[in-house]
Amino acid sequence: MVFTSLTFLLFFTTFFFLYWFVFKENVTLQNLLVLIASYLFYSWADWRFLSLLICISILNYYLGIYIEKSTKPKIKNLLLYVGLIQGIGVLAFFKYFNFFIDSFNEVFHALNIHWNIHTLNIIIPLGISFFTFRTISYLLDIDKGKIHATKDWIVFFSYVAFFPSLLSGPIDKAKTLIPQLEQKRIFDHDSATDGMRQILWGLFKKLVIADNCATITNPIFEGHSGLPASTLLVGAFLYSIQVYADFSGYSDMAIGFSRLIGFNITKNFDFPFFAQNIAEFWRKWHISLTSWVTEYVFTPLSIKFRDYNNFGLILAIVINLTIVGIWHGAKWTNIFYGFIHGCYFIPLIIFGTMNKKKRIAKDKLLPSFREFINVLGTFSLVMFTFIIFRSESVIEAFHYYRELFSLSIFSVPHISSDKYSATITVLSIFIMFAIEWLGREQDHALSQFGFKWPKPVLWSFYYLIVFTILVFGSFENRQFIYSQF
Amino acid sequence: MDRNTVLKQVNDIFIDVLENKTIILTDQTTASEIDEWDSLNHIHLVVSIEKHFKIRFTSKEIQSWKNVGEMINSIMEKISP
Repeated sequence: MVFTSLTFLLFFTTFFFLYWFVFKENVTLQNLLVLIASYLFYSWADWRFLSLLICISILNYYLGIYIEKSTKPKIKNLLLYVGLIQGIGVLAFFKYFNFFIDSFNEVFHALNIHWNIHTLNIIIPLGISFFTFRTISYLLDIDKGKIHATKDWIVFFSYVAFFPSLLSGPIDKAKTLIPQLEQKRIFDHDSATDGMRQILWGLFKKLVIADNCATITNPIFEGHSGLPASTLLVGAFLYSIQVYADFSGYSDMAIGFSRLIGFNITKNFDFPFFAQNIAEFWRKWHISLTSWVTEYVFTPLSIKFRDYNNFGLILAIVINLTIVGIWHGAKWTNIFYGFIHGCYFIPLIIFGTMNKKKRIAKDKLLPSFREFINVLGTFSLVMFTFIIFRSESVIEAFHYYRELFSLSIFSVPHISSDKYSATITVLSIFIMFAIEWLGREQDHALSQFGFKWPKPVLWSFYYLIVFTILVFGSFENRQFIYSQF
Repeated sequence: MDRNTVLKQVNDIFIDVLENKTIILTDQTTASEIDEWDSLNHIHLVVSIEKHFKIRFTSKEIQSWKNVGEMINSIMEKISP
């Protein structure tokens, strides 16, 4: 049941009605409804792992309570380790087991040792990377005294399985979502309408931009051998836009649906393609994951390595970004994707420019030439890594890079899509960036867009977006890229 | 050294490391209130404070601080005779 399907529309409408009209007065019943809806939503996608989700919730619920209760540091640590081993263990088994076995086999093979460990036929449970990160952060925060363990099991189970962000995030930390689940929600008209605007923008990005880009990029990445470099450049460019529109579109919808039921969940994107360096890019891209990894991986590591000055920081950042890469799945392409991003930080750390926060084109309509060059440079660096991110293997990515840096870059690109669709796609990308540029200081692109216009004009604009989605949107029911993680 | 002197010296370290002369710290100040105080600069601040007061924090101490006041408490515990 993806957000863009009719089934979800019916599901959410029924949920919305029951939530605000039938169970409005009772927060426990509202939470129970959230929990049942979340389990239904999850089962619809894949019922086989619902029991895993429930078992993980039960275990972490009790671990949280006993970690807080325990007065003996040894017992506290033991319980925390049980929780961490369970969380990381489940991830390691489902997502990384076969990768490690394959890697061992390759090492044995290279050393001429004839051992062949068999891999298992493992299906990865949907949303596993998202809900295990929620439970891990919950236990770590209780251990550090940042939050209290909740004694309300419905609240905790709903936190783990909260359906708007269950399958592809944002990854909410317990301190963000649990207090909201514990208090009574009041329907806020302004917040709900803003949520609707964010959903509309998310739909536009997913159905008009991402899915139309996919029709051009899929054939390029699946058969790039022999294609001219100019076509490969177009493929890499459009794929970068596609990932952004797909994932930020999903996040916009998840945030929008949450706001409709009275929740403010974590912001996931802050117009990352307007970033002026790679550090700023990561402060704006997949924010919920990067802030998670910063808090639980980078900070402890950088504290440990603090005596080694810049070298310690570089090491912490490279490990941090490599973990971000591995989080996407057990493939060497993902590991390199993260590692390359980690290496991008090295000059910033050496020259001390990593944290120089400068708002682009502050109080101006257009960026300066220097800002524009910075944005273009950052985008190019990111685009370069999306080639390996999209490739099936490192070798395949290597071939792509080799073919990309050839003289055929000066030829006319061959695009399999017809000229009409290609023109629409390029035009919609231009419109997307124009609107996002104008709304870059806001929470999301449409948050304040056109508020100074007369109401009929503003409403015509919203209808125009709906019309664009219905006419030019791709309704092939494509999954979101990040639902595979 | 009394608490106010420590706070004043920590304030000077913040101004120096974060290159922002307008910083005025209180016990309640948190990282979210100072733009330049992010995860990376946090480490620079910790290292500078440790060097200045000739002390050493544990990882757990550093990660447990919720505001400047708690940071000052940790410094006071270590420099008090």
